[in-house]
Amino acid sequence: MSPAGWGRDLRLGLRFAFSGGREGWLRVTLTAVGVGLGVALLLLSTALPNALSVRDHRERDRSDYTYSQTPPPRGDDTFVIADTNTTFHDKDVRGRLVEPEGPKAPPPPGVDTYPARGEMVVSPALEELLRSDDAALLRQRLPYKVVGTIHESGLIGSHELAYYAGASGLADRIDGSQVARLKEYGSPNPVAERADPVLVLLNLVVIVVLLMPVAVFIAAAVRVGGERRDRRLAALRLVGSDSAMTRRIAAGEALAGALLGLVLGAGFFWVGREVAGSVEVMGVSVFPSYLNPSPLLAALVAVAVPAAAVLVTLLALRGVVIEPLGVVRTAKPARRRLWWRLLLPVAGLGMLAPMIGKGRGDGEFNQYLVTAGVLLLLVGVTALLPWLVETVVARLGSGGVAWQLAVRRLQLSSGTAARMVNGIAVAVAGAIALQMLFAGVDADYTKSTGKDVQRAQMQLSVPDGRSLATESARFTATKGVRRVIALSEGSLGDAAWGTDSGPAKSTQVTVGSCAALREVAALPTCRDGDAFALHGAEYDTDTATLATPGRVLHFSPRGDEGPDVTWTVPAGVRRAETVVDPTGMRRGGFLLTPSALPAKAAAQVSGQLYLSLDPTVPEAAEYVRNVAVSMDPLQNPSVWSATERSRGYDSIRTGLLVGAVCVLALIGASLLVSQLEQLRERRKLLSSLVAFGTRRRTLSLSVLWQTAIPVTLGLLLSLAVGLALGAVLLRMTGTGVTVDWTSVLSMSGAGAGVVLAVTLLSLPPLLRLMRPDGLRTE
Amino acid sequence: MIAPAGSLLAAHDLRKAYGPTVALDGAEFSIHPGEVVAVMGPSGSGKSTLLHCLAGIVPPDSGSITYDGREMATMSDAQRSALRRSEFGFVFQFGQLVPELTCVENVALPLRLNGTSRKEAERAALDWMQRLEVDDLRGKRPGEVSGGQGQRVAVARALVTGPRVLFADEPTGALDSLNGERVMELLTDAARSTNAAVVLVTHEARVAAYSDREIVVRDGRSRDMERAV
Repeated sequence: MSPAGWGRDLRLGLRFAFSGGREGWLRVTLTAVGVGLGVALLLLSTALPNALSVRDHRERDRSDYTYSQTPPPRGDDTFVIADTNTTFHDKDVRGRLVEPEGPKAPPPPGVDTYPARGEMVVSPALEELLRSDDAALLRQRLPYKVVGTIHESGLIGSHELAYYAGASGLADRIDGSQVARLKEYGSPNPVAERADPVLVLLNLVVIVVLLMPVAVFIAAAVRVGGERRDRRLAALRLVGSDSAMTRRIAAGEALAGALLGLVLGAGFFWVGREVAGSVEVMGVSVFPSYLNPSPLLAALVAVAVPAAAVLVTLLALRGVVIEPLGVVRTAKPARRRLWWRLLLPVAGLGMLAPMIGKGRGDGEFNQYLVTAGVLLLLVGVTALLPWLVETVVARLGSGGVAWQLAVRRLQLSSGTAARMVNGIAVAVAGAIALQMLFAGVDADYTKSTGKDVQRAQMQLSVPDGRSLATESARFTATKGVRRVIALSEGSLGDAAWGTDSGPAKSTQVTVGSCAALREVAALPTCRDGDAFALHGAEYDTDTATLATPGRVLHFSPRGDEGPDVTWTVPAGVRRAETVVDPTGMRRGGFLLTPSALPAKAAAQVSGQLYLSLDPTVPEAAEYVRNVAVSMDPLQNPSVWSATERSRGYDSIRTGLLVGAVCVLALIGASLLVSQLEQLRERRKLLSSLVAFGTRRRTLSLSVLWQTAIPVTLGLLLSLAVGLALGAVLLRMTGTGVTVDWTSVLSMSGAGAGVVLAVTLLSLPPLLRLMRPDGLRTE
Repeated sequence: MIAPAGSLLAAHDLRKAYGPTVALDGAEFSIHPGEVVAVMGPSGSGKSTLLHCLAGIVPPDSGSITYDGREMATMSDAQRSALRRSEFGFVFQFGQLVPELTCVENVALPLRLNGTSRKEAERAALDWMQRLEVDDLRGKRPGEVSGGQGQRVAVARALVTGPRVLFADEPTGALDSLNGERVMELLTDAARSTNAAVVLVTHEARVAAYSDREIVVRDGRSRDMERAV
């Protein structure tokens, strides 16, 4: 067949698609909506890498980290910047105090001019938040006048809360970490982090798992209205079209839907892109301009989708004999063969097998083999499911009328039923495998902080020069604070710290009231003026030697230089057993009550406050932050949690959840469309069944069975494939194979829930179609 | 309204409109047990609507229909459905057999809907298929049989419950003359043997010739025609 002939037949099909009147347009539109949703999701996934890259670049361009760098001397192009990040209602607020030191100091990205002291420029989201009624406590914390907005180039998301506030005297606070003098923004020597191989594996599998159902979905969408189309094709045969030509014309019709779908998909994507700018998902927001699909990938989508439509139609019609007087598919089709269907998952496992154990250490697994292996395993689901449905329904016995109608329908066209469920089955299989992988490596990425969140939930350092007792009293009086543990901490050595040699032996010193000291040690008795030497601490070898009465010890000075303040171990120093303190440590060294600390040494120890909050006061943390900032604008009390997770791991898990929700919603929509299409095609039959007295309940139940049987089979198959893939992925990362049944069942439940929702949504149209109006022919 | 004496099913002053289109405009009808009445008229005259109203498939906008002395308008949808399952039978132009079920399962379907066991329903179905000369098709699906055969299976399905009224809407409309005549012979013979009344909607005089009486519907009104013998 010449390309010209192909082109002619496809064009003819295109014309037929649009010349079928209302019916034809409806069919093309349904196909196009289905394909369009899939295309939009594909375009979104091709745009995501770009969005993440833009976020990374923006973050890098505005970075002001100065660790291990010598600050430049003050000049007309320098500025001082202080990190004043805070949190409000669990949302991070990026805050900076800025002070230009000369006219040439560059303003931060997205900011035109530096705000003056007492003024600030804010992100649009923060501006909106500050104007809202429930931000009174945040307004107290940021008592600056808003004089401008940070433009998009200075933000990493449309919902990011950020501000730059003008300040003065910051140079005195330069410490190389929280406050720094700089000449420019941005990381001068960006270092590319080497990706964690397990995270790379997770990324790969998440992408394959999310995109596979979309491909399956598009393949199903181009086959909408297949039965009616077959009758049209028979008419074409009658007027002289040969069998191959008829198939090409049919492919042309599918092509029409796919092309219109591309246009709609671009439209959906455009709308979605704008909507994306106004939403925030799990703390991540983007600007619409970030979501620009990679041109190459977008071009690939534009070519692959229509090509897939043509191929799928040609493949679908392969087993159909189109005769001039009708389509011979209503007769029982040939039985499906199992052998080649099994080859796909077996080949997939074969590709993954050599990768076992390679995901750890150097992480030298072949990304192509992994992707192809996962792909083949999941494609295997779509190949095995039609065989499974056919084999099982052929063996289903008799039952009530509803059951019989459903089973017979499935026996006659099990392929249609399997196609409807394929997308869900692939999505669930992939998600089960990923949930297993996530659960397996969870421990590696979730670390216990060791902090005792029962005893304290927030911690802050008291700035130098402030009285620990006074600040402790302020926080004790703060609304929502139940208890304050105030401890000063420092170091003691056996020689002066400023000398070249320094102390040979050193240990910790903790100062606090008896009540506070009891949080870190078991004290037999305690009165102000007592001193204790701690016993039982890990990694503390020097205290026992240093705790000799009469021995003179030297306090470590704060900062690089300072007076040498000494303390003599008193004769009455007592031994105390260390216990796990609120930070989760068993500290060593000496414990001193306030009167035991030499007056001169007060400046040599730093105050720490550990706060226990009242859970019945919902804004307690906000009150604490406000008091802390009023004490020192650079204060940002830390909130304790029992565990902390790797950001990369968390973002991939977030991506999977967001993606899974999108994919399941998309497949649900496709199922509904194809269900309605099938019902519409059977309108007359349904009406005639009702005419001779069939109960509506019987027909509704029959529709439910028709969906429930293939869905159950699909979920069982996806369970098997998902568990197998999960086990292989876990072995690849060198992790023991365990099944997290809760997440497995919840994923299967989500899949079943989508189908149930679709069935329920299709019941009202079913009841409408069962009206006797369907019998009218005129 | 008092139904004509001895009538099984009667309608008086039936009116029905679909939007602005008037389908029935004061139509009258009656039929006696064992009687075959042909409802004739051109396309769009309202004859199928009259059949749907008489069968309780579509409620008329006004007028009354009595079946066996009972006013149909007072029956609930469930009662009308039960009536159609047990007292009425239907044959449509294209058979409207369920394509997934085999022919014998299709014929047994109305009995099964009435609660008859599968075995018993299929035995009764096979009896009727023998009478209509299609018992050799028992295991085939509708897609595998010819139009005439399918229509005979549909007649068997309509008669299997022993209906008192058989509604046939253009039962030979999709068949050639030879097949059409055979279907009509079998249908009317079977109906007469069970004393079932037949409401036969057709626009073919050749088919109407199998009836005892003809009613012509035109512009939604009906007129009883005297048959010249």
